[in-house]
Amino acid sequence: MSRTADLIGVAWTGLTARKVRTILIMLGPIVGVAAMVGAVGLTESAKGDLKQKLSQLGTNLIIAQAGGTFGSQNPTFPADAVHRVKALSSVTAASATTNLSEVIAVPTEGGSEFYQAFPVPVRAADDDLPNVLEVPMRDGRWLNGADTRLHTRSAVLGAGIAKQYGYLRGENRTVRLNTVNYGVVGVLGSVALDPDLDNAVFVTQWAAKHDFSTDGKPNQLYVRSKPKDTQATADAIPTAINLGGPDQVSTKVPSDVLKAASQADKTLQQTALFAGLLALAVGGLGIANVMSISVIQRSSEIGIRRAVGHSRSKIGSQFLLESLFVGVLGGILGAVLGIGIVYLVSAFADWVVVIAYQKIPIWMALALVVSIAAGLYPSIKAARLEPLETLRLG
Amino acid sequence: MSINDAPAAAARSALLELENVSRVYGEEIEVYALREVSLQILAGDFISIVGPSGSGKSTMLGLLGVLDLPTSGTIRVAGHDVSTLDDATRSRLRGDSIGFVFQQFHLIPHLTALGNVETALLYRDLKARERRDRAYAALESLGLGPRADHRPVQMSGGEQQRVALARAIVTNPLMILADEPTGALDSANAAHVLEIFKALQSPERAVVMVTHDPTVASTARRKVSMRDGRIVSDEPVVAAVS
Repeated sequence: MSRTADLIGVAWTGLTARKVRTILIMLGPIVGVAAMVGAVGLTESAKGDLKQKLSQLGTNLIIAQAGGTFGSQNPTFPADAVHRVKALSSVTAASATTNLSEVIAVPTEGGSEFYQAFPVPVRAADDDLPNVLEVPMRDGRWLNGADTRLHTRSAVLGAGIAKQYGYLRGENRTVRLNTVNYGVVGVLGSVALDPDLDNAVFVTQWAAKHDFSTDGKPNQLYVRSKPKDTQATADAIPTAINLGGPDQVSTKVPSDVLKAASQADKTLQQTALFAGLLALAVGGLGIANVMSISVIQRSSEIGIRRAVGHSRSKIGSQFLLESLFVGVLGGILGAVLGIGIVYLVSAFADWVVVIAYQKIPIWMALALVVSIAAGLYPSIKAARLEPLETLRLG
Repeated sequence: MSINDAPAAAARSALLELENVSRVYGEEIEVYALREVSLQILAGDFISIVGPSGSGKSTMLGLLGVLDLPTSGTIRVAGHDVSTLDDATRSRLRGDSIGFVFQQFHLIPHLTALGNVETALLYRDLKARERRDRAYAALESLGLGPRADHRPVQMSGGEQQRVALARAIVTNPLMILADEPTGALDSANAAHVLEIFKALQSPERAVVMVTHDPTVASTARRKVSMRDGRIVSDEPVVAAVS
């Protein structure tokens, strides 16, 4: 153990005695690792905002839409579709909405004609819809059991509609649905994964049945699955709903689009990665080159060490350890530099920093391997030097 | 061999023996640098090896210092046939048994005086503290304590050669092997270094100096003369009457 410590001390002294030379050969691994860390970091960070959004929204929301035979009006699910979907073991939550396509919502008397020409969609929604969507209320509250029990006529506005209506925070307002006035009790936050919900007015299922004589059959289901089973669940939902019957069901995972958009530019990333590898390889050649020259320059040192009893293998190990240190330190400095570049550029470009920390050890190991491989030949050369020739005896 | 004719020299053990040693360079054209040389170096010897250029002195030095191996013949150091040892064992034997002093000092330029002396104590399972203390003691014994933290370029030739001497003695070797130790020094420093060599010689240890300087040679008590790869004389030095 103490001999290893001696060897480490000798190699370290050898490196620190020639600082400029050491820093120069360290540039290879530094630039190589920094380029790779930076390449992946920058291309990923450029899409970092989308990735962040994706991780907030989750990738496990499934939207099921009722589809009918061609030309059929307003296709619906069976009334118990939510229960059928919840029977799937991978489903963690599900909530339904029903389109009230006959209902015209009018926020003000003056807007009556406009909103008849361009109707705002009205939907009957379950009490737990915001929970399934994982979207907080922007204002007020969502529809709840009390609304159903007490038969209140409460409405919630989508984020987009609230804006269009000029709804103020906490304001007491009514919306006329056909002939009935509904009190606005809240505004739902923006639903990134289904912008349709931003442009809708929501009422309770009870109100829909009572005021607008719906049959309670939903048109859409919003389903959350266990994170890893999203696609399988989306595939299983149609069967779970129609049970082999004629009802058509289409499902989509809306985060897939976002996921695709958040993918970093792979071509750019690979090009930059390749450039980093190239830098590492060239750096390796530099190490081999400088170390070879160094062995010649230090031939007298090698002769002295042999004369005082250091074996060939100790001399070889000494030089190999020097290149190993170059690789380790160069790798660490390169990683720090690369991370620094990503943070710096992201700060200027207003990106969300994404750094592939789990890959950095691989690149550092690569730099180490290159450095050791580069140091191998000079080390063998050093070990094979004949002390008698280097000491120039009288 | 009977008990009666045991020579007086047998009381001193042979530290290093050359037996019919030849060293040949070149493959197609063979050049004999040494030709069937036999030599015994005994504990307590103070030897000078002299001879003109090309006489085989340097080759002899390489072989005595176990830096080189003979083409034929046997070299024994402390009883070990060096040709049969692997490099690691031979290096250990060299480090333990022989202390080198060179004409050009051969200190490692990026190390301090202390660091240079410590070099001879590496890979010996010594604690860093103990190694430093021993190296410092060796420097101190040669009056170089205040110079311990100086690098070779900051020291005079005489000081550098004393650092080299400290490096040679710090392992307490059986033999000090010097190559023209005063060749690069002015006369005052040369005299000082020769005094140290005299002091280093002891009943357990041999000092061998390869030189062509008659003053150095006359310091020794045994003089081995070489010519054309052979030993032409090996005799005690008669002290000059002053």
